[in-house]
Amino acid sequence: MKKLFLFAALVASITLNAQVTKVQLKASGLTCSMCSNAINKALKTLDFVENINADIKTYTFDISFKANSKVDFDKIKKKVEGAGFSITSFTAFVNFNHLVVKNMESVVIDDQSLVFVTTDERLLNGVMAVQLLDKGFVSKKEYKKTNLPALLPGTYHVNI
Amino acid sequence: MSNNISRIKINLFIIIFSVTQSCHAQELFSLTEPASNRAAGSIGFRIDNTIMDERNSSRTNYHLIPEVMIGISKKLTVNGSLFFSNRSNAFRGEGGSIYAKYRFLSNDAVQRHFRMAAYGRVSVNNSDIHQEEIDLNGHNTGAEFGLVATKLIQKVAISSTASFVKATDNVNSNKFIYGTTNSKAVNYTLSFGKLMLPTAYSNYRQTNINCMVEILNQVNTGSGKYYMDMAPSIQMIFNSQSRIDVGYRKELASNMIRTAPNGFFIRLEYNFFNVF
Repeated sequence: MKKLFLFAALVASITLNAQVTKVQLKASGLTCSMCSNAINKALKTLDFVENINADIKTYTFDISFKANSKVDFDKIKKKVEGAGFSITSFTAFVNFNHLVVKNMESVVIDDQSLVFVTTDERLLNGVMAVQLLDKGFVSKKEYKKTNLPALLPGTYHVNI
Repeated sequence: MSNNISRIKINLFIIIFSVTQSCHAQELFSLTEPASNRAAGSIGFRIDNTIMDERNSSRTNYHLIPEVMIGISKKLTVNGSLFFSNRSNAFRGEGGSIYAKYRFLSNDAVQRHFRMAAYGRVSVNNSDIHQEEIDLNGHNTGAEFGLVATKLIQKVAISSTASFVKATDNVNSNKFIYGTTNSKAVNYTLSFGKLMLPTAYSNYRQTNINCMVEILNQVNTGSGKYYMDMAPSIQMIFNSQSRIDVGYRKELASNMIRTAPNGFFIRLEYNFFNVF
């Protein structure tokens, strides 16, 4: 019972220690406003998405989320790919509250696990940009450089 | 009252905004399909009109081809179309066609991509056979299988298709009169598209203007007879919602019997996103 309580307290502390505030992604494979709009409209169908700010010139999408919603990075990726395009960079802006991260150790944020790579043990505090490194979240060229193994669904390699 | 009007305006805006065009404007060719697919879950409606000048007569052949296009998944698009024409003196329905395209390669980079797809078409037509040219888009019953590769770099798209086509007898006892050995052909095409306007994007409602030139070839594997056509066209996309293509198809060289190779074509298209 004591252990269970400790576990519950631990989970609570993890979820309280960080929150995804925004995602910025850059799409590739397109050159026109209509393609950009196809992505824009596909992203809008996600139930946890509050608002999308699209920069047509740079093919960049700033996505904000509804309060108390579960952000799902895989669903975002699937929407971009469903519209017929690829993601070339995916940055999650995470609000950390004194969270200590270590290399190759995972942290649970909004039901998603982030595995920090090439990070020395450090204390994260405030909003920080976290770059996703897995296949489909970076360009094929970039992915070849790291060639990170596929993780379980909802688990991502990230860099800070 | 004014509140109601503004609400109607907002509703209209939402309706207009929800009807948009997918894909890359400069590779949305008029007479061939690019390797890129429609957005998954989208449905498009198209009306193709061809107004062709019939050879050795003063008649004009008008073909009307309505088409529905469904983005089944990110890799698979399926189109269905119906054929109507006035070629047999009365304007009537002549058949239909199912087309499917599967994208098997997609190399995306910022402002560029290279994609390849395989496609197939099965057509049924009930009109009389009147030309050696094999055309599954409103003339012949038959099947076609091919590959398409499309390269997009900034504002220019280049696309090429190669396909094998086999005609059979048309329905209504209209035989393919040129013999079985002459019922097969190879089609190959080369298409160029360039985004002319806008020069820089500022919003989704800017009018897009694309210029396109397509070279369309057929070689009959039995007779060795061929044709080569060129089709320049201009495409306009208004409000990212409606598309109009206007072009002219012109025979450059041919030694096969063709009824009406030269003429204008007009395409109207609407797309609905995230339908399913």
